[in-house]
Amino acid sequence: MAAALSSPLTSASSVLFSSSNYPSLPSFSPSQRLSFSHSALSSSYSVSPALFTFPSPRLSPTAAVSFSVRAATAAGEKKKVLIVNTNSGGHSIIGFYFAKELLGSGHNVTILTVGEEGSDKMKKPPFNRFSEIVSAGGRTVWGDPPEIGKVLAGETFDVVLDNNGKDLDAVRPVADWAKETGVKQFLFISSAGIYLPTEEPPHVEGDAVKGSAGHVGVEKYMAETFSNWASFRPQYMIGSGNNKDCEEWFFDRIVRNRPVPIPGSGMQLTNISHAKDLSSMLTLAVEKPEAASGNIFNSVSERAVTLDGMAKLCAKAAGLPVEIVHYDPKAIGVDAKKAFPFRNMVQKRSDRATTKPLFLSYEHASGMWIFNVCCCCCCCSTSMLSHEQQRKFWDGREPQTCLRI
Amino acid sequence: MARMVSLQQQATHPGFSLLTSSLSDFNGARLHSQLQFKRKMGLQNRGALQVSASNSSKNILIMGGTRFIGIFLSRLLVKEGHQVTLFTRGKAPIAQQLPGESDQDFADFSSKILHLKGDRKDSDFVKTSLSAKGFDVVYDINGREAVEVEPIIEALPNLEQFIYCSSAGVYLKSDLLPHSEVDAVDPKSRHKGKLETESFLESTGVNWTSIRPVYIYGPLNYNPVEEWFFHRLKAGRPIPIPNSGIQMTQLGHDLATAFVTVLGNEKASKEVFNISGEKYVTFDGLARACAKAGGFPEPELVHYNPKEYDFGKKKAFPFRDQHFFASIDKAKHVLGWKPEFDLVEGLTDSYELDFGRGTFRKEADFSTDDIILGKSLVTA
Repeated sequence: MAAALSSPLTSASSVLFSSSNYPSLPSFSPSQRLSFSHSALSSSYSVSPALFTFPSPRLSPTAAVSFSVRAATAAGEKKKVLIVNTNSGGHSIIGFYFAKELLGSGHNVTILTVGEEGSDKMKKPPFNRFSEIVSAGGRTVWGDPPEIGKVLAGETFDVVLDNNGKDLDAVRPVADWAKETGVKQFLFISSAGIYLPTEEPPHVEGDAVKGSAGHVGVEKYMAETFSNWASFRPQYMIGSGNNKDCEEWFFDRIVRNRPVPIPGSGMQLTNISHAKDLSSMLTLAVEKPEAASGNIFNSVSERAVTLDGMAKLCAKAAGLPVEIVHYDPKAIGVDAKKAFPFRNMVQKRSDRATTKPLFLSYEHASGMWIFNVCCCCCCCSTSMLSHEQQRKFWDGREPQTCLRI
Repeated sequence: MARMVSLQQQATHPGFSLLTSSLSDFNGARLHSQLQFKRKMGLQNRGALQVSASNSSKNILIMGGTRFIGIFLSRLLVKEGHQVTLFTRGKAPIAQQLPGESDQDFADFSSKILHLKGDRKDSDFVKTSLSAKGFDVVYDINGREAVEVEPIIEALPNLEQFIYCSSAGVYLKSDLLPHSEVDAVDPKSRHKGKLETESFLESTGVNWTSIRPVYIYGPLNYNPVEEWFFHRLKAGRPIPIPNSGIQMTQLGHDLATAFVTVLGNEKASKEVFNISGEKYVTFDGLARACAKAGGFPEPELVHYNPKEYDFGKKKAFPFRDQHFFASIDKAKHVLGWKPEFDLVEGLTDSYELDFGRGTFRKEADFSTDDIILGKSLVTA
């Protein structure tokens, strides 16, 4: 039941979260803890990946395919793995964790990051922590995918993971070179964002995807080119070293005692996994290639979380209180995509338009003026106005608070 | 203990004669033969689980069984060759021909179904009557409080299995969803009696299984779930939905088959299973799905802030105003059970066998709608 993206009624029920058809495996317990620095979480909130116990959605769900315990496979064959990694964005972190996990399991790892080692992009996480890969025995190189044959001249690998391309144009040079040089297994980081919106979540593997999504072309090409391939569709990821705002966006506000502005009702559901869980899934695919072969896997947590829930969990992790403020981006005239780290969360507007002014400053109990929570400010974590300027503005005015939509 | 003679109440089921002869298999009988075939195959393919259930004929007691799940469950069990007794006060007929059920099937069922008439709140009666009969298995479909289950357990020391209809309403409200069987439960919820019953069963050492449905739907639903939408769709009225309409929930049609699947199944021993539909749906999506099911045009949805209204004691919307859905992965993987109906199929089934034939449980009441719509018109 695909809903048109343009309809405001259905945009709220567009891709909210995906899940996987497959149950979780108990052998993954080491990666189930959230690696927040503050271990204030008292609840046993475990984020486990949706894992694969049977290879293909085409098989009957009752066909049991058992996996041997991870420890036994660690003694198995060591692979030579190449990770082609993007140099920015939410997926950057995947290559970082995957490299470390493979190295920890004794595999040989090369990570080719797109672009140049000296570029400004490399000053941001996770790239500024690549020394961790090197000290673990991995190799870091830089280059452009179309030049991959030159950058890695004379080298061969058992496995290649393309964690860079969003369409076939970007991936083809890597795939073709991999095929020529005898790579046995080709893996691809796709995206759960390609599912066509549905009124009946969750999205599972096999659900309709957007025809325009470049990732689809890649998945098709891989299937035609490699006998052993797999595609992974993650949603949002957290983990230290994240290149893109995810949990940090919430932490930035929580630790500074700023309200967290969330567009819409805050009830929108999304799915957030830890990058380490995704890397565990990828490592398993490398170590059990027959089981992974020919499959697309949603790489998401067992549970979805509401946006409000995400804010509360971040606060809990930080051991601090949180104040959530809801707003209607359209009414304020703000691009929610810029103001908030998760997309597709544009809330259906309230049937009752708000007529109150939009400034959201108010006096915090501590006597300090809270910064104006207009979105522009929050993005750069600074106020547009100094305390003095704010105090002047509010002098004689009634403090306003945002209406819940 | 006399057998109840079958009663046919044709008057309450107008206009069902046409297609009934081809619809002998009543578990939510579908009108399309292709789908029926699919369903028959599905039932047969429940493999090893099915074998153990059908191997031996059991003496089964159902507490309740004349209202909704029990109506379908009892038929499935009788068909599988078990001896089935319904414990009810006798207020409703033990056997009523259902829309889509052939005369023959109904005659067969009603000649076999047994009745134990009594009030389950009379624990002395429950104890004596049950111990006199000695049942192998008890399905408790209408129990709410632990105290109601005590005499049953005491009366049947050799009970093979106690299968309980609990509720996903016991889960503590959470920002992390879906609810899974291991999640925190809410000892203060409206359904705490169900929780207490589950704990009680665990404490007795009996072989128990607990099923936690979310919202249940299907023909003859006594809870106005789909009916609430159908009334408005039929009247061509807008559908008022609280707040954003993205609240996510889940409807389950295949409860009876799940209850049969756990019978005599070792893997179900002392386990809790969420049972509902495969997918979730938002309130807005559900309104549209109901429209599809009944062949209505896409409805107008009106969102409102419930805090701005005083509806008195009336309920303006049939669902809890929150996300509420549960994962059925455990049942799927442990029992090999899965729902047969998807949402629109199930709603269509309900519509064609019930509301669409002019039958429903509650009369349309649009008074709360008018309050909402009236105010919306004024402030637009």
